[in-house]
Amino acid sequence: MNAPRTINEYLHQLKAALRGADPALVQDALYDAEEHLRAELAEQPQRSEADMLAHVVGSYGAPDEVAELYRDQEIRIQRALRPPPPPKRRSLAGRFFGVAADPRTYGALFYMVLALATGIFYFTWVVTGVSLSAGLSVLIVGLPFIVLFFGSVRALSLVEGRIVEAMLGARMPRRPPYPAQNLTLMKRIGRMFTDARTWTTLLYMLLMLPLGIVYFTITVTLVSVAVGFIGAPIAWAFAPRWISDAYVNDRPVINWGWGQHVPGWGDAIVLCILGVLLLFATLHLARGLGRIHGRVARHLLVRGG
Amino acid sequence: MHTNPSGSAGERVDDRVGHLKKFQKELSAGTVSLVLLAVLGQSRQPLYGYQIAKRLEELGEGVLAGKQSALYPVLRNLEAAGLLASEVEPSVSGPPRRYYRVTKPGREVLREWVAAWNATRDSVDKVLQGEV
Repeated sequence: MNAPRTINEYLHQLKAALRGADPALVQDALYDAEEHLRAELAEQPQRSEADMLAHVVGSYGAPDEVAELYRDQEIRIQRALRPPPPPKRRSLAGRFFGVAADPRTYGALFYMVLALATGIFYFTWVVTGVSLSAGLSVLIVGLPFIVLFFGSVRALSLVEGRIVEAMLGARMPRRPPYPAQNLTLMKRIGRMFTDARTWTTLLYMLLMLPLGIVYFTITVTLVSVAVGFIGAPIAWAFAPRWISDAYVNDRPVINWGWGQHVPGWGDAIVLCILGVLLLFATLHLARGLGRIHGRVARHLLVRGG
Repeated sequence: MHTNPSGSAGERVDDRVGHLKKFQKELSAGTVSLVLLAVLGQSRQPLYGYQIAKRLEELGEGVLAGKQSALYPVLRNLEAAGLLASEVEPSVSGPPRRYYRVTKPGREVLREWVAAWNATRDSVDKVLQGEV
């Protein structure tokens, strides 16, 4: 690798050295490096960029040294921030019921419910913003409005990233892409529109409404059905006569598919066991959906490394 | 049997340098959070990453084990843990800068860390001076 002569060259080399690393890590590392290099350059403006970089390779580190340092750091962050992994269970039953001991399950479950609210908000924001931008673009005020709107979308994508990282455990960037330097205002605005990430973020926000509805419905339905089933013995113990529609000759009758019979404790207990199984299956589903959603969010919200 | 004396000596020196490097790296990994928190805790105004790097550079090597790039991820982690807060401010002459300051929980943690550091340093010193 030859010595970088411009800041952009340095960043390119750093990006190349970080190839294969987590895109969120790459975004953070590039932001840090650019901030440091620009500050170094501003400190002694009379020095040329190449001289500054020659000095920086000694103090800040050469691109591959920095890359190695960030990879190291990432392993430590993962270890420090992640909740301890749940003990690996071998048996089928252990794996099935172990889901309840995984903190990520509850994060995902909560995210599923929250997704309806955030989904509605993002969708409304994007639809309103895009249509107002389109409508106002014929007027002078249209331009600042469009710029403000796209800026707000970027900020929201960082916020959503924090939520996804906290609840679903997918590593998301903590810093936005570094704002471009030395560009005219028009070029900067143009860059906002040519950046693919802007558009994928908009797509993600639109997608969040249908996804949020699906997540919310699945979670609420399955959890309430499961809890209802689990409660069957209690219902039976207190008031078997609530089921008055099913009464024949003063006795409640139930047909599970193999002939009518009068239900008793047996039915209630079977329902309860079914409910417990369904609840754990729901937890599995929530955790699985959370994992998939984390992956979707990383693809659409993080600029590809 | 004869071994090449200069070769083996060279290897031994390489080994020693490697051990020293590794030890310095571990020491710095253990203390860098404390140092950054302390620098920001003593400063009257918020500081940005480059300023902190320059202040530490004046102290000489040791704290960061050489490379200043090590400090940014640590700052970010301290912020994620709620010990620091940051905001971006555009500067007049240069690029926008991210200023960090210590939060209230950060000050409390710093006090505890300083106590822990003093205890560790004292006991290490005692061992090194042969008081065991």
